[in-house]
Amino acid sequence: MRSPFTQLVCLATVAIGTLSSFKALNFFGSDPRADEDHSQMIAEELPHARPPRGVPLTITEGTWLRAPGEEWIIQQNELARKQGLEPRFTEDPSAADGEGAWIDSTGFIQKRYDEEEDFWAYWQWVGPAQLTRGRRDFVQFCSSCHGLDGDGYGRSGQWLRPSPRDFRQTNFKFTKVLANLPTDDALKRLIKRGLDGTPMLPWDLSDEQITDIVQYIKSLSPEGMGWRDPFTGIGSIVEAGENPWAGRENFAIKHGEKVYHGVAQCMLCHPGYVNPRDLPGLLDQPEDTVYRENLYLPVLKDSEYEVLGEKVKILPPDFTFHTIRSGQTPQDLYETIASGIKGTAMPAWKGSLSEEDLWALAYYVQDLVEEYKDKPAERRGLMERLREGL
Amino acid sequence: MNRINSLLAGVLSSRWMKALAVVGMAGVAEAQGGNRWAPFPPASDFGHRFSELFWLITILCSISMVIVVLLLLIPLLRDRARPGHKANYDHGSSLHDKRLTAVISLATFIVLDAWVLAIAMKDLREAYWNMPEVDQAETYPIEVLGQQWAWHFRGPGLDGEFGTPDDILEMNQLTIPKGRPVSFQMTSKDVIHSLFLPEMRTKKDVNPGSINKTWFKPIEAGEFTILCAELCGYAHYQMFGNLTVMEQEDFDEWEESASLLGIAAYDPEDEEAQWAWEWEE
Ligand SMILES: [Cu+2]
Repeated sequence: MRSPFTQLVCLATVAIGTLSSFKALNFFGSDPRADEDHSQMIAEELPHARPPRGVPLTITEGTWLRAPGEEWIIQQNELARKQGLEPRFTEDPSAADGEGAWIDSTGFIQKRYDEEEDFWAYWQWVGPAQLTRGRRDFVQFCSSCHGLDGDGYGRSGQWLRPSPRDFRQTNFKFTKVLANLPTDDALKRLIKRGLDGTPMLPWDLSDEQITDIVQYIKSLSPEGMGWRDPFTGIGSIVEAGENPWAGRENFAIKHGEKVYHGVAQCMLCHPGYVNPRDLPGLLDQPEDTVYRENLYLPVLKDSEYEVLGEKVKILPPDFTFHTIRSGQTPQDLYETIASGIKGTAMPAWKGSLSEEDLWALAYYVQDLVEEYKDKPAERRGLMERLREGL
Repeated sequence: MNRINSLLAGVLSSRWMKALAVVGMAGVAEAQGGNRWAPFPPASDFGHRFSELFWLITILCSISMVIVVLLLLIPLLRDRARPGHKANYDHGSSLHDKRLTAVISLATFIVLDAWVLAIAMKDLREAYWNMPEVDQAETYPIEVLGQQWAWHFRGPGLDGEFGTPDDILEMNQLTIPKGRPVSFQMTSKDVIHSLFLPEMRTKKDVNPGSINKTWFKPIEAGEFTILCAELCGYAHYQMFGNLTVMEQEDFDEWEESASLLGIAAYDPEDEEAQWAWEWEE
């Protein structure tokens, strides 16, 4: 070896020789390739994502958004007093400014008088700085599914069924409130705990970040809709009163089964969990009552949610198979059943059913989940019982 | 002379880097909750090949690092300036030094790199590229569609055909049986993704416009990780999912229910949900 150059050449020759002999031995060649025409066809058939648009991150104008009413203000103050804090809002209308607005200590909430309708609505002013912060976090964490402009058609969300919320439709499924719109706290809770079994994760963001995101989401309401509609109601999370079945849970499950298949007719959309032969006995109905076909399967239902102008259909969950979205404790289930799931075939049951029936339903559904979900052997037995004689 | 020195320095630094990387990976593995100093155990039948190769490289690199550091210490101590001894400067430019360097470099290349490469090629040929014939009774087929930023999986359902209402559609979640080869055909809707199943010790790019194939045979039941291993946009980090491997008995129940519920959820007007292609034999 005369020079370093010669040595380098030798090394390179060895390396190239080794690699090309591997190539000759077809080490690399056995990687299968699709035939060109077929794959080309697939590429053409697949609906492609819309091209990205420019994303202005800074918002320069603030906006008025609906706030919950007088009751809510008094409630907030009581809450603050209980925690030994200064009440947030003044309860003295004489402290209001000339236009009849009530201003809180941070200047956050105002009440505006709608003269034409002789109607009092509460509004809050959300400034551009907060909206900008909210937009930035929204783009970073939420927009991949919910879309850069909140249309529920972000790239990740396009083929998601049910699809992500379109915030311009101002309709929310799992807010657990009886009113049309949820309070900020209800929305914050939803973001913090996420929706089980969906890509809506429990978001581990700071309280300030979530507050900003919530204000931004609200500001996506179109004119005259959602948080820009003076007539729409805003409500807190439905309150579960005293549990009438405490200590008698087994009876609650038994009673819940009757309510589920009887009064509430849950089995019209969700699966029935009793063989149709045994239903008349359970419900004291005539022996020849006819129930819907394939009672052990749920029925696809229409919803109010739209993707690109097309209504989306939603399959009501089979509690022994699907994951329940917003909590599986009787308390969670009570809240969901009582408040309903907005925009879907699931109505708010509070008022239509007695408190006892509501709680019984919650216990029954929880029991179904506990007994059969993720327990293939048990579930196989259940399915065999349900399909027997069909 | 200088060139050889820099060559040597390059080799040295790369060995250092590899060793550091290995320690780093072991740390990551520990953070994953696996054995201390060991990556999570493989859950597929050829996964042990990857683990063995990983440890071989780790050990070879560690040994060569120790040797190189010790060799470096000799001139540092022997030739340093000290009372009664002047520092000894040497560029290693004598013929003897050059020969020594060349022999060590060649030996390193042949012993370490060629050895590792040969084993890697053997593994690829015998396991990773050795796809089983798709026999529906034996092999479970899965169609994978990657998109910004989610994984879609389609099982054939009860009729064993793709593109029918009873297909099992899952998003960011894949359920497969244990003990059977699972055969994947994958494509992408937009950009290049890469299906990465770390516990199964397999990873393959998912390209738009072509169908890539891969397979493995899970030998552990449980919950595992699905990742995208190709930077694919600003929400790449959100592109992960969960792999569930079930015992065959449990899987049969699951497959039947999922397929029946798939029919119940089937909406022929929902065009975006109709993606599927004819399974390529
Ligand atoms: Cu990706």
